[in-house]
Amino acid sequence: MRPSRIYPSPGEGPAASAELPGAVPGGRALPRLDREARLALLLVGPSLAVLLAVSTVPLLVLLGASLFRIELTRPWVGGFVGVANYAAMLEDVRFWHSLQVTAVYTLTSVALQLLLGLAFALALSAVVRGQGLLRVAVLLPMILTPVVVGLVWRTLLLTPRYGLLDYLSILLGLGSHSWLGDPRLALGAVIVMHTWQWTPFVFLVLAAALAALPVEPYEAALVDGATPWQRFRFLTLPLLRPAIVTVVVIRLIIALRAFDAIYAATGGGPGTATEILNLYAYRVAFNSLNLGYGAALTTALLLFTLGATVVFGRVRGAVEASP
Amino acid sequence: MSCATVTSLRALPRVAAMLVAVAVWVVPVLWVVATSLKPRTDIFTLPPRLWFTPTFEHYRVALGTADILRGLSNSALVATLTMLLTLLISIPAGYAYARLRFPYREPLFFYTLFTQMAPPVGFLIPFFLAFSRLRLLDTHAGIVLIYLSMSVPFAVWLMTTYFLDVPRELEEAALVDGCSRGRALVRVVLPQVYGGVAVTAVLSFINAWNEFIYASVLTGARVRMAPVAIFGFLTTEETLWGPFAATAVLIMGPVVVLALLAQRQIVRGLTLGAFR
Repeated sequence: MRPSRIYPSPGEGPAASAELPGAVPGGRALPRLDREARLALLLVGPSLAVLLAVSTVPLLVLLGASLFRIELTRPWVGGFVGVANYAAMLEDVRFWHSLQVTAVYTLTSVALQLLLGLAFALALSAVVRGQGLLRVAVLLPMILTPVVVGLVWRTLLLTPRYGLLDYLSILLGLGSHSWLGDPRLALGAVIVMHTWQWTPFVFLVLAAALAALPVEPYEAALVDGATPWQRFRFLTLPLLRPAIVTVVVIRLIIALRAFDAIYAATGGGPGTATEILNLYAYRVAFNSLNLGYGAALTTALLLFTLGATVVFGRVRGAVEASP
Repeated sequence: MSCATVTSLRALPRVAAMLVAVAVWVVPVLWVVATSLKPRTDIFTLPPRLWFTPTFEHYRVALGTADILRGLSNSALVATLTMLLTLLISIPAGYAYARLRFPYREPLFFYTLFTQMAPPVGFLIPFFLAFSRLRLLDTHAGIVLIYLSMSVPFAVWLMTTYFLDVPRELEEAALVDGCSRGRALVRVVLPQVYGGVAVTAVLSFINAWNEFIYASVLTGARVRMAPVAIFGFLTTEETLWGPFAATAVLIMGPVVVLALLAQRQIVRGLTLGAFR
């Protein structure tokens, strides 16, 4: 379990990639190709060495750690435990709860992002003036420091009575609420926050896709006297389908990685109301210092993300292949 | 009803949507800026006071806090180093994937992309275990190394797409003229992808500057980064909104400036994945 190569020394890169099977195709290859291949391996070598060291080796260490009992508060109880951590996980009510929260959080926020992003893209597709301002406006939430965004929502926007959004809620007659402190409201509040952050992404992709749609079908539809709704339902929507599927796939995969903003806003609380699987694993590993069990939870998280990526990739491929 | 009225009426929902979009995404940010400039007594007045005498008091407090000042300079150093190393590693790799034939090219490219799928929380435990043995906890080298795991896959992929857009003829002409491949790359091809290099630089800087999870666990008092240090104003005993807002502006300011400078390219870089 000792990660021996976490720190690539200079010169290790090319050497590491020269060991790849097939890197030296023997005397069969033409001298020119051979030189090209060697140059290529020299150029990609450093990137492969870095990724091997900081991404593949750590994953193997993670898998290993999930089979051990590692509790920093009780260092004397260590040792190999096999799949005991995974067995414990299946009986862990909090694990199942965090899966449920992750599903609600991910699916709801991506659905909202798609609806709002599509609506904005359709409404703003023909606006000529102010595109520059609009681009800056929608760029902001995506690039701002996520953890600071979470803290700003927690304080300046959602604090009862003094937060801007709570003030709006009072003005609208909905009253003042402890948005992040009330277990019934907290999950909804962080979903709204995530939607605020990432609707612009959906908007930008769909706006670009809309701009690239062919004009002819619309001209034909106008001649045939199609209503705006018919044009949307039978032309725009089918034509946008590949872009919509792609954007949903990307958003779902990235939403599964969400951590910073929700950590800053609620830390998973109140209680476990907003505790997505990411946050639960983090809390187990670095608040309870139970690294072995935390490793098992993050391995489960990795498998979910991997599964989702493969499944979504298939869906995307199928949609793109269909006429 | 005249034709002109019809169009202007039709435009109404669009203009409204535009205003709503700008308000929804810009007002909260302006709100932070306004709070950072409000005198302490005006921050909690309701209804919110829109006219106030701006003060830099909160910035003075924020920058007078050792942790914040050190956090900002640590973040700047780490983000700059990450950006430079990322460029150094990913430009040659991107060129090779776009242009050269070599064994296992597709699987290696796929591997490069695939490494970024794993959620960062997954890497925390192995890095923590490894770094405590290698004495890399709370060091600049350690955190930069980890940030490469986030930025390199993305940067290699981005640079590859930019190199693919350069016409092959340019380079072949240079090769015919007797340039070596290396010389052709530096003199002929690289100037064609300056835009791509700029986007890669900006995005890898922003990613490292914004990063929080690794910074929160793998750095301590010495290499504390700005996004971790800002929590100091929001403890359970006291919430210092003024200095908090000022620090938020100091952290988000550089990102916003970079984004304004390269907005078109960043939009392309961020949404590229959806089109390839």
